[in-house]
Amino acid sequence: MSDLRRPPHDGRRSVQRRVTAAREFVDETPPTALAAGLVGGLALIGVLVGFLVQSPLTVLALGAFLAAFAYGWLRHQALTARAMTFAMTASTILVLGLITVFIFAEAWPVFEYASGTVFGVQVPGLELFTTTNWSPVSEPIGYSLAPMIHGTVMVTVVATAVAGPLGVAAALFIGEIAPPTVRELVKPGVEILAGIPSIVYGFIGFTILSPWASEAFDLVGQGTYLFVGLVVGLMALPTVVSVAEDAINSVPESMKSGSLALGTTDWQTMTAITLPAASSGVSAAVLLGVGRAIGETMAATVMLRNSPALPEPLYNAFYGYETLTSLIAARYGDAHGLQFNALFAAGVVLFVTVLALSVGSQIVEARMERELGGNQG
Amino acid sequence: MSGATEYDLVREDTSILELGAGATVGFAVVLFGFGLAGLFELVAVTESVAGVQLPRLLGGLLTLASAALAWFGIASHRGLVPTDPRPSAGVVAATGAAGVWFVVGGLVGSQTLGFGTVGWLALALLAGAGGFAATALPREDLGTTLPVAALTGLGGLALLTGVIGPNWAWSPVGLRATFAAPIAIPIIVLFCSLLVGWAGAKAYGGFGARGRHLGAYALVYLNVLAILGVLVGLLAFVFTKGAPVVVQGITVGPGVGPETTIRLFGFAHTVVWPVDWPFVMNGVSLYAEVSGVLPAIVGTVWLVVGAVLFAVPLGVGAAVFLAEYAEEGRFTQVVEVATNALWSTPSIVFGLFGYAFLIPRFGGSKSLLSGMLTLGFMLLPLVVITSREAMLAVPDEYRDASAALGVSKWQTIRSVVVPASLPGVITGVILGVGRIAGETAPILLTMAGATEPSAAETADVVGGFALSTSPPFVTNPALLEATSALPYQLWAIISTGVGGDAAFGWGTALVLLVVVLTFYAVGIASRTYFRRKLHE
Repeated sequence: MSDLRRPPHDGRRSVQRRVTAAREFVDETPPTALAAGLVGGLALIGVLVGFLVQSPLTVLALGAFLAAFAYGWLRHQALTARAMTFAMTASTILVLGLITVFIFAEAWPVFEYASGTVFGVQVPGLELFTTTNWSPVSEPIGYSLAPMIHGTVMVTVVATAVAGPLGVAAALFIGEIAPPTVRELVKPGVEILAGIPSIVYGFIGFTILSPWASEAFDLVGQGTYLFVGLVVGLMALPTVVSVAEDAINSVPESMKSGSLALGTTDWQTMTAITLPAASSGVSAAVLLGVGRAIGETMAATVMLRNSPALPEPLYNAFYGYETLTSLIAARYGDAHGLQFNALFAAGVVLFVTVLALSVGSQIVEARMERELGGNQG
Repeated sequence: MSGATEYDLVREDTSILELGAGATVGFAVVLFGFGLAGLFELVAVTESVAGVQLPRLLGGLLTLASAALAWFGIASHRGLVPTDPRPSAGVVAATGAAGVWFVVGGLVGSQTLGFGTVGWLALALLAGAGGFAATALPREDLGTTLPVAALTGLGGLALLTGVIGPNWAWSPVGLRATFAAPIAIPIIVLFCSLLVGWAGAKAYGGFGARGRHLGAYALVYLNVLAILGVLVGLLAFVFTKGAPVVVQGITVGPGVGPETTIRLFGFAHTVVWPVDWPFVMNGVSLYAEVSGVLPAIVGTVWLVVGAVLFAVPLGVGAAVFLAEYAEEGRFTQVVEVATNALWSTPSIVFGLFGYAFLIPRFGGSKSLLSGMLTLGFMLLPLVVITSREAMLAVPDEYRDASAALGVSKWQTIRSVVVPASLPGVITGVILGVGRIAGETAPILLTMAGATEPSAAETADVVGGFALSTSPPFVTNPALLEATSALPYQLWAIISTGVGGDAAFGWGTALVLLVVVLTFYAVGIASRTYFRRKLHE
């Protein structure tokens, strides 16, 4: 599809075409609009730079931008609107870029500190993952993230085991099984489940679930990966349901009716036609759910022990210590120096992981759309 | 395998045998209910009812269910029951059975018989393979019923004979955790009744395609019921715990409430409220009868207002560009990936970003403004995604009709596309606001102020504006100070030790829940309304 739309072209011709298009644009546009656009654009860049270097003169650039914008809006509204909406679109990329730059920059010192050597090559940040000692204050000092990564993995595995199958089944129910009136009831219900703030889950977990689990299983102290995982799974469930339901709904009706016309039961159609056709979208849904589970902060922070350690044995889900998210939330207050940079390193790990999951799920979804030949509904 | 009954198109009469299978399912439902009640400690499973120990009673019921199931499978195999089984129960069911029997074999080997790793692994593999073979090899009616009946029978007999009695406890080696009877018995009952329910539903449908359909539907319906049950349970629980705290001391009458003075650039106007609602109108105070969460409510309101003012114009503008101006290409792809990535970025990462990026630029300390912008960054991708979808959903006929009138593209966008997409945009914004209003992690690092704010610490943003002669010309100290918000206050209650003040916490949780769910309810209702209008 995309090959048809964009024929292969050699670079030089495309550049030439762009230059011609730009020249035509400049020729056709009134000079006052061009001037206002130039001033506005430069002023906007000035605002950005001024804000980044914390200059008090930022406000002047802002004023210049507003003046240029006001002039453009009054005299050349259409052009101004187009330029402004473009700038707004670019700002979404800018925000992602700023997040990347700033958390990497803040994390860098600890990456340098914890660099390790592999085959004689210095790899920054290696010891964050290969050692297991987190001890920012007392000797021996160490900033290992391994215990927290282990905790995040434990919580995510339990959460995915809950949210994956239950979420896909609920999506099937909403998309295929439920009669319309029931669907109208269940769908908002699942959405409201997504609306319950994580700190409320955390409060219930902290006051009710953790003490109960500790007593019922006769544990030493409070905080288990198992129950944090269950709660986080419940929180990731709505994400899985809504994305998977979209995928199931996007399977063309003709495919389903073709199967039903052969005399299959609804369930046979679902397992043999709908789910395989929607499999990419459903896996994207589960991936997004995993991303939600990894990034969930408050429930984990208030329900875990917040002391970085590895449980014994490693698969012991009845003892929960710390996750990457809870490390940041529990320690931002009294951390400084390298320890603070280490919190940002935890943020980098989270950010990169979830970014990879998000991009991965988008690639998977794009494949599904290609396979089904677009949304024919 | 009598062909005459197999190919009946319509099953008319409910035979006694179907009644039997139905009764098995009913049995499973009752047992499942018992299991749930036991797990939530509504019924003490270790006690006795009419002289019979409850575990023995449950064990007896499980054994009966198991026997009924096994009998049904054998009867179907012998052709005594008109069913329509396939040659095999299928790989999915067999894999499930293998998994269950692997665990059972491993547990029995390592815990009951005390084998070493090699020993229990061998037994587990053997049991798993046995479960797989027993499910996959025989005809579907036997393969479905017998392995489930065997497992349920095992559990039932263990309970019936008192092997797992009221004083039973099991401490797996090395886990430092104990499974005692009050937990283990409900879990056994729940699990077995789930399997019996599935197999019973399959039997009720006469196996084959129809049986599998019923079996699967039973599980899917149960799953949805469980999700809704959890939802209703959670909400009801927070309401019953929080409501008594929240409604304390409400009085209604002219002039009973507190005074509110609104100041803006020197003008002042005072209003006296006709309602006194201490929990939402007081701050935390040792002297007041009822401590309240007013500063947190006001903080949350301002956070939402700030985030919306920042993110909505930006996001809607970006959506206009993406939906109307941009041609599909590299740039739109990058934007799409970036917005989706932003949407799934963990909230705590936004908090870190706000801490590193905004705080040094707004006076070096945590502030309301930093919190607003951080939440605005979080809201932005959602606004872009939903607004773009809403604009793409506007039919092209609208645009064509407008263009046919000789109207320029921008005017078409302004007076046709944007108004037509407004319901979708507003719905998206409301749902997004519901999400950010409950966020704790980002404001923890960017805005969090006093943990127990008094009424005097309520942020006065409107009254804080003042003009000055030096850049940046407009100042507002209220925006640059840290303040509280509902989710942050709840976190503060937890982190300072909930000990004496759990009730205050439940009250705060209820207010937060009501605020957030109101946004959601309004958003969902408006979406339903506009969708219905669109389809009319």
